[in-house]
Amino acid sequence: MRRIVSTALAGCAAIALAGCDGNPLARQAETKSEAEVAQAEFPQRVYWGDSHLHTDNSIDAYGFGTRLGPEEALRFARGEEVTSTLGLKARLARPLDWLAITDHSDGLGGTKALAEAPRILIRDPVMKRWHDLLNSGPAGSQRAVAEIIDARARDKMPPAMMDPDTGEKRTRSIWDAHIDTVERYNEPGKFTAFLGFEYTLMDGGKNLHRNVIFRDGGKRVKKIVPFAALGTVIPDGLWRYMDGYEKATGGKVLAIPHNSNLSNGLMFQLTEPGGGAMSAAYARRRAAHEPLVEITQIKGDSEAHPFLSPNDEFAGFGVTGWELGDLAMAEGKSNEMFAGEYLREAFKRGLTIQDRTGVNPYKVGVIGSTDSHTSLATADENNFFGKHTGNEPQAGRAMQTQNLGTRQGRFGWHYLAGGYAGVWAVANTRAAIFDAMMRREVYATTGPRMTVRFFGGWDFGAGDLNGDWVRAGYTRGVPMGGTFKSGSGKAGKGRPSFIVSALKDPDGANLDRVQVVKGWTDKAGKAHEKVFDVVWSDPAKRKLAGGKVPSVGDTVDVARATYTNAIGAPQLATVWSDPEFDPGQRAFYYLRVMEIPTPQWPAYDALRYKLKLPPEVRVKAQERAYTSPIWYDPPA
Amino acid sequence: MTFREAAARVLREPLVHFLVAGALVFALFGDNGAPQDRRIAIDSAQIGRLSAEFAQTFRRPPTRAERDALIANAVRDEVYYREALRLGLDRDDLVVRRRMRLKMEGFATTPVDLAAPSDTTLQGWLDRYPARFAGEPTYSFEQRFAGGPIALPASLDDAPTSEVAARFGEDFAAALPRLPLGQWTPVASGFGEHSVRLNARRPAPPPRLADIRQRVENDWRAAQARASSERAYRALRDSYTVTIER
Repeated sequence: MRRIVSTALAGCAAIALAGCDGNPLARQAETKSEAEVAQAEFPQRVYWGDSHLHTDNSIDAYGFGTRLGPEEALRFARGEEVTSTLGLKARLARPLDWLAITDHSDGLGGTKALAEAPRILIRDPVMKRWHDLLNSGPAGSQRAVAEIIDARARDKMPPAMMDPDTGEKRTRSIWDAHIDTVERYNEPGKFTAFLGFEYTLMDGGKNLHRNVIFRDGGKRVKKIVPFAALGTVIPDGLWRYMDGYEKATGGKVLAIPHNSNLSNGLMFQLTEPGGGAMSAAYARRRAAHEPLVEITQIKGDSEAHPFLSPNDEFAGFGVTGWELGDLAMAEGKSNEMFAGEYLREAFKRGLTIQDRTGVNPYKVGVIGSTDSHTSLATADENNFFGKHTGNEPQAGRAMQTQNLGTRQGRFGWHYLAGGYAGVWAVANTRAAIFDAMMRREVYATTGPRMTVRFFGGWDFGAGDLNGDWVRAGYTRGVPMGGTFKSGSGKAGKGRPSFIVSALKDPDGANLDRVQVVKGWTDKAGKAHEKVFDVVWSDPAKRKLAGGKVPSVGDTVDVARATYTNAIGAPQLATVWSDPEFDPGQRAFYYLRVMEIPTPQWPAYDALRYKLKLPPEVRVKAQERAYTSPIWYDPPA
Repeated sequence: MTFREAAARVLREPLVHFLVAGALVFALFGDNGAPQDRRIAIDSAQIGRLSAEFAQTFRRPPTRAERDALIANAVRDEVYYREALRLGLDRDDLVVRRRMRLKMEGFATTPVDLAAPSDTTLQGWLDRYPARFAGEPTYSFEQRFAGGPIALPASLDDAPTSEVAARFGEDFAAALPRLPLGQWTPVASGFGEHSVRLNARRPAPPPRLADIRQRVENDWRAAQARASSERAYRALRDSYTVTIER
């Protein structure tokens, strides 16, 4: 308990300090400015980061017990040691290159304010109950937040809690203090700290959340406050807010939807929200504001579901528990909802909508991020600080019922220790990383830091790999996130070819295989998908059988939570061309890079806390990376 | 021993019992004679606040009867509050104790001197904790991978340790400080065996305040906040004699 209170104190102190900072921009004159940072001719390094992290300014994170604020979050991401809310020393084995703190705009700082408000001034009996629970220790605090989320999902929030005037004042003061803190930790060339927030759009319990990330510094971003989602069920208001920001400040901002897997089919609809065929204007609007989607994070993975991709033996990573219903478990899931939730299907739907309207609303790149609510951006299996403070490292966490949808079948072990974003940028600055996001030159991993390159062109051959193939990739082709150049004279002639290169995480597990996932639409307008194994380890021993590469094997010793790199390969590279290419068919291609099996966080917990886990608990898995697709448009 | 256990033990101390009993006696009887403590005054400012809160909840001002009820309720609150204090009901209430502590800590930490620190202050801080701000050694090297072509740079110039570690792994980066200069030498990385020729190794340059002022200031500020809250606690703590029985 002492830890909780004393770290709360540290967090408050940090905010108090930052709030009184005078003019941080003037004082930054000595620090290198973005313009002074050297930029590569084309991206040479992948920059690792987390675009989705909550601190004690988030209404639920504080309620779940987190007492670490933005300053601790930034220090931790940069590789410094901090003390977690529950009192453990926490440090990343490897620092991140960048971080976006994305606290919920709805009720920003709200639980903290409710907990710290003089009790005598709280009139609403429900709020009084929450106030008491929040102050009664971690268990009560978590109870309060479960009730708040529930009330939010059921539209039963006490009116005083939603009062716009109080909320606005509180938001402004927290936002300004937050900006000052982030500005103090943004160090161009060394560590990028983005300004951002989470727009927590819900339709009942259906998750339509977006993270909003600014390219700009505090001077511009202080002109606005985070935009709240309350009372709306479609993202239109957010897009208008983003347009307004860009117009008023000359800055740039993007939005990244996440947890489509908990939207009960609403995230990637074929129609406009509320029904009706999607218009080209709507599709264009969505694509312009939302160039990326978060494909994997702690609350599950949204690449592919076995119901949609029955022939893909690797579909369904991290869907257990999450596939039961929406975020709040207010509504269960039925099979026809999956198609609006998983990225592979969204890419396919995008093609069909483009066939019809000429615009692809789901031409999105993919990233992973944590969505951690502990201020600690951890995604390593052996160093996982949990989804929120209720499941920071402790003996029982793998089997705890978890707070969202407490009643039906979601448990601690369903959380994935995962989600980082790899960005191919020309420098480690806000501008360079943001611009790479806008052009979708990004990829997702479930935690490990594999280095993945993917270029598409018309004339790549096996010989290219012996030369400067990165230069070749950029000059003769397009990188991940791009569209095949058409009208270049070469387009449509022959078959597209791809430079594929994956390096294992230098401090992690070997690679099993690299796959190209292709989707396309046929003449009847129907979408299809196919997974090609294009390069794999031990090809001499592992011959294709029935069109598939046999399993790589398994070295995991669950009891010791270890594995060895006796199987797999440190690097897999090839030039692949599509044997089934039809120049008349719209298509996309993305890579899925599979690691060999490794222990998952419950296995490390079992070792650490001497647990006997039930057989259904996931103790090993093949971690993976997903790249943004490369798209092909047939000649008009 | 945690703070709570220590506190629990302190509360079992006979001396503490005596003091608490004394305080209770004082609370119950000692100030009975003080007339101002038996007076409850509700002024117009407070009535204004009560009405405003009502209006915030119900989106209309209270009627006269409702306002009278609010006032009666405020008096009731106050009477119970004072009587509860007299009975010491706040003492065994965990929620009350935590709230009181948070408030005290809030008082203790807010008024830190926040004036922008001078270069002298920060240079002093940097000199005091050089290890915290030490830069990284850099390396220039060429490498060949035993397993054939690999998607790694064949050479790096003046790359800091962290970049080498991010690209080649921790073991590889850890081997570079001991490597002979100018000779092809086997080095293992996370990928396998390499042959490496180290061409230059530069120790971390001494950190210059001008280059890392913001970082030094961040660290200084965080330390000031911690020190200030610790000082505030110490000032109170030092007026107590605490005995802990083990």
